[in-house]
Amino acid sequence: MIPRPHPEPGRLVDAEFQVLDRQVLDRNGEPVVTVDDVEITDIPRGVELDPDADAPVIENLLSGSAVLGTRLFGGRPPESRWQRIRWSHVTEIGTAVELNTTADRLDASWTERWVRNHLIGRIPGGRHAPD
Amino acid sequence: MKRLFAVALGILTAIGGFVDIGDLVTNAVVGSRFGLGLAWVTVLGVVGICLYANMSGRVAAVSGRATFEIIRERLGARAGMANLAASFLINLMTMTAEIGGVALVFQLVTGIDPLLWVPLAAFGVWIVVWRAKFSALENATGLLGLSLIVFAVAVFLLQPDWGHLGMQLIPRIPESESGSTYWYYAIALFGAAMTPYEVFFFSSGGIEEGWTVKDLGQTRANVLVGFPLGGILSIAIAACATLVLLPQAIDVTSLSQVVLPVVQAGGTIAFGFVVVGIAAATFGAALETTLSSGYTLAQYFGWSWGKFRRPARAARFHLIMLIGLVIAVLVLLTGVDPIAVTEFSVVFSAIALPLTYIPILIVANDRQYMGRHVNGKLVNALGLVFLVVIVAASVAAIPLMIITGAGQ
Amino acid sequence: MLLTELLRMRVVEVDGTEVGRVVDARFRIDAQGGARLVGLIVSPHTRAPFLGYERAALDEPLVLDRFLRWLHRGSFLVDWPDVRRLDDDGLHLREGYERRPSTLP
Repeated sequence: MIPRPHPEPGRLVDAEFQVLDRQVLDRNGEPVVTVDDVEITDIPRGVELDPDADAPVIENLLSGSAVLGTRLFGGRPPESRWQRIRWSHVTEIGTAVELNTTADRLDASWTERWVRNHLIGRIPGGRHAPD
Repeated sequence: MKRLFAVALGILTAIGGFVDIGDLVTNAVVGSRFGLGLAWVTVLGVVGICLYANMSGRVAAVSGRATFEIIRERLGARAGMANLAASFLINLMTMTAEIGGVALVFQLVTGIDPLLWVPLAAFGVWIVVWRAKFSALENATGLLGLSLIVFAVAVFLLQPDWGHLGMQLIPRIPESESGSTYWYYAIALFGAAMTPYEVFFFSSGGIEEGWTVKDLGQTRANVLVGFPLGGILSIAIAACATLVLLPQAIDVTSLSQVVLPVVQAGGTIAFGFVVVGIAAATFGAALETTLSSGYTLAQYFGWSWGKFRRPARAARFHLIMLIGLVIAVLVLLTGVDPIAVTEFSVVFSAIALPLTYIPILIVANDRQYMGRHVNGKLVNALGLVFLVVIVAASVAAIPLMIITGAGQ
Repeated sequence: MLLTELLRMRVVEVDGTEVGRVVDARFRIDAQGGARLVGLIVSPHTRAPFLGYERAALDEPLVLDRFLRWLHRGSFLVDWPDVRRLDDDGLHLREGYERRPSTLP
């Protein structure tokens, strides 16, 4: 099956229900992160909105301990600590959110790589399939 | 043999729920104090866990999503975290108890101080989690755990007055016990039967085995063989205690008293079986809870997980399990009674049980996940009844624990 | 901005009447695969999530379905162009905005 380049045009997506807190999988089906928040186009506060202007779009899927932390305890995470996955990587929104790239190429999975390179990969047998 | 291996996941899952070290002792305590007057709770628990484990397995097979992924997805970050914290603590406490339990079994055989066995037992668990194939670990522990059937055999060897034993099955509170201790143990048995790590392990195990829609029959077979078997073992242990320990008013405080009726019935051979069975069951339960701690955390945060991947491709998953095992060893080395550790898991189950089973029930009805494999009317009706029972038991658990001093 | 900053926000009409809270944001996938905001789902009585029961694909068990639909009774979709202003005290709707059915097919 040839993977779709992006989700089916015309489809409606309720972001809270269908994107937030969903598992993100890379093109090989490997888990990357869970969607901790979603970044949309900034909406200016306190000004009259133009009804004919382009509506906001989803720009990035966000993850990371700061983003999740504010979901749990309130507040607003500093933007420097948003780990972003560009929406253009998204190919499908189903029971999981699927991407057209691999986990290793995304910033969002740096902790996985760190633990792999510094700890787990160094223990004998860590890089071989179980037998 | 091949057929038996096909249901190994169900058997191992059930062993962790019904006859892990805490339950072995609880079942014997119950038998020695209440006779078979609480056997109905185990039967109820078997029905409940069959229902929900099958749902979780079906969701995993059809949608590819394991149970903690759907908990996070459906309940959101906060309620999901509340469940994660409670479930993780239950896992950790049970893991600690099981590793202590393996050490106790070795003590039973060798007479050497269990503290010396603790690091060895933990290392054994780790090496299996690190290197063994999932199918190998479930087949070995599941099959060896079946030696616990010796408890059922012992019931026959003890040549009981069947009519008298049958009469005991009628639920009643013995004169020597209070209503609150009776209900405390009822909830403890029900909670053990439905302990949440069973569905975490079962659904994740289904994905480890690569289940798809084609394997729904196998999912059902695993459930219908594994959990009733766990229930039978659980009742057999209580029955043994009823026949031997209850008349002599022996208080069950340790593993040797659990084993006593079997030895009395079948001598050395039976002792051999029971030791192998308990060792395999506690070791199996240790594996189940260790893996569950990795599964739940990885699935909540969306990390890569699974034994079907090389450890380096599921690095954080393996790191969590390693840390969990180190904590378990450190706790045990303080000299705490491993079996007492599990008593407090009742408290956390009160939070984890409803927050685990509600999302399973909902997603098992969601056609976006399940297509035409959604729950039937009867399953939904039963599922709701059990949800009410689960919530009632959860609410009652903590006050009863305080009133009875944990069943004293 | 963050999606979760939009969620749970108060929604008010021109005369200041509060009509509910934002419980979800609906996007449509465009020809290039982008997700553009169609409108917001407003629920008058609760901030609780729908748990998936806002869609036609989920309506069992009946008790849960009825309960959640009751919790979210009167919920509606308001098109994004019908939103006049975003303030710290909430979302302000335009005069004569339309309440559209919120059920997702």
